[in-house]
Amino acid sequence: MNIVNLTQVTYTYPLTDKPALSKVDLQVKEGEFLAIIGPNGSGKSTLCYALAGFVPHFFKGELEGTVQVAGVETKSSTLNEWVMNVGLVFQNPFNQISGAKYSVYEEIAFGLENMGVPREEIKSRVDQALILTGIDDLADRSPYSLSGGQQQRVALTSILVMQPKVLVLDEPTSQMDPVGTREVFGVIRSLTGRGMTVVMVEHKMEWIGQFADRVVGLYDGKIFINGKPREVLTSARLVGRGFGISRYTSTAREAIKEGIWPEDRELPVTLDEAIKGFKKISK
Amino acid sequence: MKIIDSIKKDFNTMTWVLIPVAIAINVVIGEIVVQLKLPVYLDSIGTVLVAAVCGPWAGALTGTLSNTIWGLLIDPNALPWWPVALFIGFVAGWCARGGLFKSWWKVAITGFLVALTAALVSTPISVYIYGGITASGSSFLTAYLLQTGQSLLPAVLITNNIVEPFDKISTCLLAFAIVQGLSTRFLARFPRPENVQIEGGITRNQIYIAVAIVIVVIAVYVLVIAKLVSH
Amino acid sequence: MHERLSFYVKRDSLLHSLNPLTKLTLAFGLTFAGFLSPWYWTPHIVILLIIIPLSIIGKVQREYFNATLRLILPATSFLFIMQALFQPIGKTIIFQIWFLHVTRESLSFAFANASRIFAMVSSFTLFLLTTHPSELMSDLTRRGLPSQFAYVIISTIQIIPQMQAKAQTIIAAQRSRGLETEGSIFKRIGALVPLVGPLVFGSLVEVEERAIAIEARGFTSTRKKTSLREIRDSGLDKIFRAVLVLIVLAIIALKIWTH
Repeated sequence: MNIVNLTQVTYTYPLTDKPALSKVDLQVKEGEFLAIIGPNGSGKSTLCYALAGFVPHFFKGELEGTVQVAGVETKSSTLNEWVMNVGLVFQNPFNQISGAKYSVYEEIAFGLENMGVPREEIKSRVDQALILTGIDDLADRSPYSLSGGQQQRVALTSILVMQPKVLVLDEPTSQMDPVGTREVFGVIRSLTGRGMTVVMVEHKMEWIGQFADRVVGLYDGKIFINGKPREVLTSARLVGRGFGISRYTSTAREAIKEGIWPEDRELPVTLDEAIKGFKKISK
Repeated sequence: MKIIDSIKKDFNTMTWVLIPVAIAINVVIGEIVVQLKLPVYLDSIGTVLVAAVCGPWAGALTGTLSNTIWGLLIDPNALPWWPVALFIGFVAGWCARGGLFKSWWKVAITGFLVALTAALVSTPISVYIYGGITASGSSFLTAYLLQTGQSLLPAVLITNNIVEPFDKISTCLLAFAIVQGLSTRFLARFPRPENVQIEGGITRNQIYIAVAIVIVVIAVYVLVIAKLVSH
Repeated sequence: MHERLSFYVKRDSLLHSLNPLTKLTLAFGLTFAGFLSPWYWTPHIVILLIIIPLSIIGKVQREYFNATLRLILPATSFLFIMQALFQPIGKTIIFQIWFLHVTRESLSFAFANASRIFAMVSSFTLFLLTTHPSELMSDLTRRGLPSQFAYVIISTIQIIPQMQAKAQTIIAAQRSRGLETEGSIFKRIGALVPLVGPLVFGSLVEVEERAIAIEARGFTSTRKKTSLREIRDSGLDKIFRAVLVLIVLAIIALKIWTH
């Protein structure tokens, strides 16, 4: 069952000539974890906004083709309907804090208040969400007193509590230190374990290699490559185009040139795979 | 209804997010100016900014809230002056809608009109609540005028009319400079970006004209006051 | 600079448990009484017999006292002096500096005027000391204030200290790069742009993302919004508010009648 269906989507921002997305076709199955990679300016953020309905409803501009996500279709729905069905989390944790609430608990409840959810239900949903993302110990603190990683988890929880059918994340860990990154990926992993459909733009290839079901590469606003993580992340097509590449993959490539790594063996993406691979050689 | 639609148009999500930032800008620049010991207030730059890109109603709201929050949390002496802050935003907004925020010299005119309004609106407040004497240095001038036989209302009006133009014209020019530094793409998100579409290029000449207008305005005022005081 | 832009002090008192609108009505009521009452000594009675006892009932007397010393007294004293010196009323000159006279009448006027302002600021300070901003906003929203206003007000209160801190950082950074903030007036004017520029642009750039973020939380939803907090509004509150309004109306009537 495809929960995301983009057909020949072309989008140009207002006052620009060049389209940010060109004839994009993309399907995502329900419960899938799709990672999106690409060099800067390739349209990754625009794709996220399109998946969440902000393109075109917030940004205006021209959208051709059809975007269907979780039962809402661009031309026939309002931004409010999109927001109920698709959750969006982006890079900067600080900007995602509303500023209208004094405690993390209330901050998370903010979206539900706007949706008109009855008080008792708000409380039970927030309580559950806090435990799900492991921030129940932060409930009484001011959102502004938290670290970046903690703020990002609050942002994520605030969106999750609205029970979206699809979760879109645009480089959620890029402004975070390793600890924060691990915290966020930990939460996302448990979500996908429960069947949530996740679409995530990420640079950190090792993490994608571990968790994603499928990887799509964007280049110049078009879908450039689409396949299983292993195939895509070790593909030679990524080289020299500004795509991030796992350091383990690059190391193994160099090792092939030096004659250390056998040419016919699969390239590693994660640390574990690299260790296993290099261990075999030394035997 | 046309007025209600016009009011609603001023307020999109970007407006609501901009207003707190604009109020904070008002407060912080107002405080920096005190730290730098400059003889101006410059505490309405944010208000004018909102008025220019969102509209007069949003500007009026920004001014009012800015004044109220400042009065309740920083200096209570500011509280009675909320109508002045309201009208600063309101008038600046209408000037912008009338196309007076598109070049340096036009913005100077906007500043002048805003100053005129501010002086007019602050006079009755000054007279009826404070008897014409407020806790600021301009009261020295009012007192002097009163001593020379001026009656209260004109005396306060004159005092306010000297301080205000300088402050408000600077405020509008600074707000304009800020708008110029923002990308067109960003400005397009606000309800009334057409208010600030710069006409032609920014020429040196325009800046000279603006400075000339400021000098002329202040000179005219000094002359008017000299005339009024001497009769 | 202010670390915490909020007067609120958490205590367990009668005042704290009153409905926020009641306390707001009280503050306005006392202010109007002070300004409109024809009787000279009204503001002083208000301060001595109402505000100070209430501060004790509200268990915030120490904070109120601090606020008075730090903020209210200096401001109103300055006003008193200005009024006494500059008000050109009265004939019984008490003393004279240059062309400025202090008369018995101007002293009397200054005292009344300063006291009225003192009463106004005190009553609102008391209100702020015993009412949490989000409590006030929840209550007003429940009564019909559009939720966007609540967002703007609380957001502003939280952003101001952050921006003040940013400003101090920028000032320090620019100073260490050689920016002169003292000296001739031209130097000081010139210092304005490198200080204001980074601060303003840095804050404005965030506006777009913050707008997207709150949209993603349903900010512009047209559904009827609910509230997590439940704010009490007891019968006592309602009676109290009604009585206050009646008193103010009575004072207005008295003023018209004695004119």
